[in-house]
Amino acid sequence: MTETEFALRTDGVGKRYRKGWALRDCTLALPAGGVIALVGPNGAGKTTLLRLVVGLLAPSTGTVEVLGHDVTASTPQTLSRVGFLAQDHPLYKRFTVAEMLRFGRACNLRFDQGLAERRLAKLGIPLDRRAGTLSGGQQAQVALALALAKRPDLLVLDEPVASLDPLARHEFLQVLMGAVAEGGVTVLFSSHVLHELERVCDHLVVLNHGRVTLTGDLDTLLAEHRLLVGPRTATDVDRAAAVVQAVHSDRHTTLLVRDGGIPAAPGWQAQPVALEDLVLAYLRRASEPSAAVTSGVAV
Amino acid sequence: MTWLIWRQHRTEVCVLGLLVGMFGIALFVLGTQAHDLFPGGPARCAGETGVSEACAASFRRLDEEYGYVENLLAAFYLVPVVIGAFLGAPLLARELEDGTWQLAWTQAVPRMRWLAAKLAALAGVTVALTGMFTAVLTWFRQPFDAWEGRFQYDAFDLEGLVPVAYALFAFGVATAAGAILRRSLPAFGVAFGAFLAARMSVALLARPAYATPLTTMEPVPVGGSKDQAGHRAVPGFADWMIEHGYADATGRRLSWTEYYELEGAANRAGTNLNQFLHARGIQQFGVYHPADRFWAFQLIEAALFVAVAAVLIGVVVWRIRRRMI
Repeated sequence: MTETEFALRTDGVGKRYRKGWALRDCTLALPAGGVIALVGPNGAGKTTLLRLVVGLLAPSTGTVEVLGHDVTASTPQTLSRVGFLAQDHPLYKRFTVAEMLRFGRACNLRFDQGLAERRLAKLGIPLDRRAGTLSGGQQAQVALALALAKRPDLLVLDEPVASLDPLARHEFLQVLMGAVAEGGVTVLFSSHVLHELERVCDHLVVLNHGRVTLTGDLDTLLAEHRLLVGPRTATDVDRAAAVVQAVHSDRHTTLLVRDGGIPAAPGWQAQPVALEDLVLAYLRRASEPSAAVTSGVAV
Repeated sequence: MTWLIWRQHRTEVCVLGLLVGMFGIALFVLGTQAHDLFPGGPARCAGETGVSEACAASFRRLDEEYGYVENLLAAFYLVPVVIGAFLGAPLLARELEDGTWQLAWTQAVPRMRWLAAKLAALAGVTVALTGMFTAVLTWFRQPFDAWEGRFQYDAFDLEGLVPVAYALFAFGVATAAGAILRRSLPAFGVAFGAFLAARMSVALLARPAYATPLTTMEPVPVGGSKDQAGHRAVPGFADWMIEHGYADATGRRLSWTEYYELEGAANRAGTNLNQFLHARGIQQFGVYHPADRFWAFQLIEAALFVAVAAVLIGVVVWRIRRRMI
C-alpha cells in the first residue's frame, strides 16, 4: 500500500488536557474508501480523536496523517480535502440557509453550490429560513449538505445522528450513504449507537478510556470471533489467550473467542457473534485495568 | 472572508456606528454654536483674556451656556471600552460558545488567515469609530481647552491619541478573555473591569511619572488675596499641577499642619496673612508638568496601552496557532 491509500494513519497519538489524558497510544491505519465507524461510550475520546483528525486540535504526542499529509500543516489544499460535521451540527444560527451556502462558497476552493442546493431542495428545506429556526434534523441536513458540497475525499462526522429522532436519523443516514455510493468519499464517523452500524459500516474502531481496544475490517472481525456455549467449566478460561469474554451461568459457560474458526471442542457449540455483542464485550474488557488490548488486525 | 466578517459582525458595527454618529452629530451642533462665540478662534482669544473684555465675556457665556455639556462629557470616558469590548468580546467567544469554531476552521481558510482577517477588520473598525468620535470631541473641547488647558483628566483622557489606544486595549482584553473564558458576556465584563482598573491606575499613578516634573519656588507676594487659592504658584493655567504648597526660607517644604499654625499665628497677630508669610521668608512652590508636554504624554500613554493590547493579541494568536482552542 502506498501512503495515500490510507485515509488516516496515526502513530502513537495522545492528547492531554489539563485534567488528564483524553487519548493515549492511538495507532491506527484506516484504508481509504468505505465507511469507518468509531465506537465507544461517552468520554472514550472519540471527539478528541476526530478533532485531531480534522486538525482542530494538535496532538500532545505522536503524529496524525490524513490522506498522506500531516494535518498540523494545514493549507487550503489539505483543508479542502476533509469535510467535518461536528457534534450537534453547529451552524451560524442567525444566517439563512442561503447565507450558510454563501459562507461555504466564500471559505472553500471547490464548493459545489449547485449540489448543495439540489440536496436541500430535495429535502424541502427552504433557503430563506434562518438556520436557527430549522428543526434539529433539518439543521443536520444543512450541515451535511455543506460538508458534502466541499467535495471532500474524507468526510468526518462526530455523533451525526445522536441528537436526531428515529425518522430524521434514518433520513440522514440515507443521504449519507447515497453520497458514499455516488463518489469515492471515505466516511469516518463516531457513534455510541450500535445497532445501526452493521448495515452501514465496513471498518470498525472501538475506543474506550482513551485507548483503541479493537480495530479491523468488520467482516473479518465477525468471521474471526464466535461464541462457544458449553457446560460450565471450573477451569480458569478467562485467562486463555483467545478468550475475549467468558460468561458463566448456573449450568453453562459462554465464551467469546477470537480463534479464527477452528473446530470447537466436543460438547461445545459454536455460534456467530452479533456486532453489538462483540463491541460490548470489548468495551467491558477494557474497563478491567489489565485488559487493554491493541489489536494488530489490518494494521 | 470580507463578506463573512461583515455578515457576522454587522449588528455590532451598525449599533456602534449609530451611537457614535448620534453623539457625534449632537456634539458637532453644540460645538458649532460654542465655536461661534469666538469669531477669531478660541486659542487666540485665550491669549488676550484679561485684556480683551469681549473675550472674557465669551468665556463667561461659554461656561454658562455650554458648561453643562462639558460636565456630561465625563460619560464619554467609557466610549473606548464600549467600542473595543463590544467588537472584541464576540470575535472568538461567540464561535466557541456556539460550537461554530469547528465549522469555521475546517473550511479551506487556514485558521491563522481567518484570525488575521478578523483581527484586522475588527481592530480597524475599533480604531475608525473611536478615532472619529475622538476627533469630534477634541474639536468640541477646543474653547474649553483654551480656557482650562488640556492636561486635566476631563480633557487629556478624552482627546488626541489616547482614546484610540484605550479602545484597542479594551479590544485586546475582550478578545483574549473571550478566547479563554469561551463566553461573550463574561469576556465583555472582564474587559470592562480591566479597562476601569488600568485606566485609573495609569492616570493616577503612572501618568505623573512619564517625565520629571518641574518645580517653581518663589516668595509669597506681599499683595494678592488672603485665601490659599490666591497663591497659585504655577506659572500657567494650562500646566498640569501635581503638587503645591509652602516652603520655608531655606526651601524645606512645610507640612499643612505647619502652614495652618502659621495661619493661626497670623490671625492671632491680626496681620495680613500674605504680609505675615512674606515677612518670614515663606515661599510657595508648585510641582507641575508644563502644557507643552501634552503630546509627549499622549504618545507615551497611547504606546503603553497599545503595547498591552499587542501582547494580549499575541497571546490569542499563540493559543490558536498552537491549537489550544
